[in-house]
Amino acid sequence: MTTLDPKPAKAEGRKDPWSQLLNKVGKHQDREAYHALFEHFGPQIKYYAMANGLASHAEELVQEVFVSIWRRSCLYDWRKAAASTWIFTIARNQRIDMLRKMQRSSAEMLVETEDLWQIPGDNEDEPVTSLHRLMSERRIRESLSHLPEEQVTVIAKVYMENKSHQMVADELNIPLGTVKSRVRLALNKLKVILQDQNV
Amino acid sequence: MTRHHPDSLTLMEYSAGNLSEPHALCIRLHLDKCPHCRSRVDTLDSLGAVMMEEQPKVNVSESMFDSILSRIDSEPAGEPVQPAPPRISALQKLLGENLNELPWKRQLGDVSVLDISEKFPGQSEQVVLQKLAAGGKAPAHTHRGNETTIVLQGAFADQNGVFNQWDFVVLNEQDEHKPVAVGCEDCITLSVLSAPVKLTGRFTRLLNPFIR
Repeated sequence: MTTLDPKPAKAEGRKDPWSQLLNKVGKHQDREAYHALFEHFGPQIKYYAMANGLASHAEELVQEVFVSIWRRSCLYDWRKAAASTWIFTIARNQRIDMLRKMQRSSAEMLVETEDLWQIPGDNEDEPVTSLHRLMSERRIRESLSHLPEEQVTVIAKVYMENKSHQMVADELNIPLGTVKSRVRLALNKLKVILQDQNV
Repeated sequence: MTRHHPDSLTLMEYSAGNLSEPHALCIRLHLDKCPHCRSRVDTLDSLGAVMMEEQPKVNVSESMFDSILSRIDSEPAGEPVQPAPPRISALQKLLGENLNELPWKRQLGDVSVLDISEKFPGQSEQVVLQKLAAGGKAPAHTHRGNETTIVLQGAFADQNGVFNQWDFVVLNEQDEHKPVAVGCEDCITLSVLSAPVKLTGRFTRLLNPFIR
């Protein structure tokens, strides 16, 4: 390649090995790349299942997530989401799906989990704003280490243990308002959300 | 009170996958039409990915990978997900093509309602569609508990502004308003009521956000 000045977004994308691997799976059904993704994300997803109360179905969830990754990888576009973000949303949806299927018959499922919870990049008309998206994950990772423990704990319970803000408040024995303010402080510091529109 | 867009905390609960199905539906319908909030959710999804990465890891075995491979090999070859299948929205799946032709039940004056809670089996919330006839007014009312509403068709206005199609609003007992349907279409909204409501007597509680 002779281009002297690759676009920053592209350069950033190249630095993320997981997105490259996922891209190979999508484009070429590359099994080596798929295996590398399994070794990296499999243990994370298994922990996720155990943390949120699906311990006895943890391996099943990992399998469902990876089968889904394989099937959907042709839709993956690294410019729309980093691989880890994309895989997180698949794990989340498979968890929800598993719980829904345990609770009711398929005849009762009028809408699919994916009709309710979107996988990033599925929306075709979505503009490609790769720089912003890829940057945000790196920025989150960097600034997370500077957050007070109490804020990280609350966010971890929401994302990993799938507890509502109210449940987190009950468990930590602190007021709901305190949980919400910890989350808001954290999101502000992570610059995840610059400002709510409707305050 | 939340108006026009969901707040960050609600979007975080959505991104984490912690909302009930009817609440998730309200968020999803809004996201489909709001690039601003979609980009907020993309960022929150990245936060989820980073949180997952920061947690302890639990060993997975090679034999598990082998069974995954045999599953993908047992599927009909060359039949991965089709890129961009024509998507039927959740709303169409639930309610069909034409919202105006649903079996509406006339309530008071300009207001009709339709309870669709049974479309969400196993969920504790009450889910209600409401229709305010074009140009119609609803009586002044307040709200009990949190009620999440999304505008599906038309628009309504109250003293706080105009709510257009796909706008998102959460109202509670402090929010008294007197909505009016604006524009030339009937205004149709979908509301999720957190606690099931007991209907009592002939002059039952009528529904939000229009009337109670």
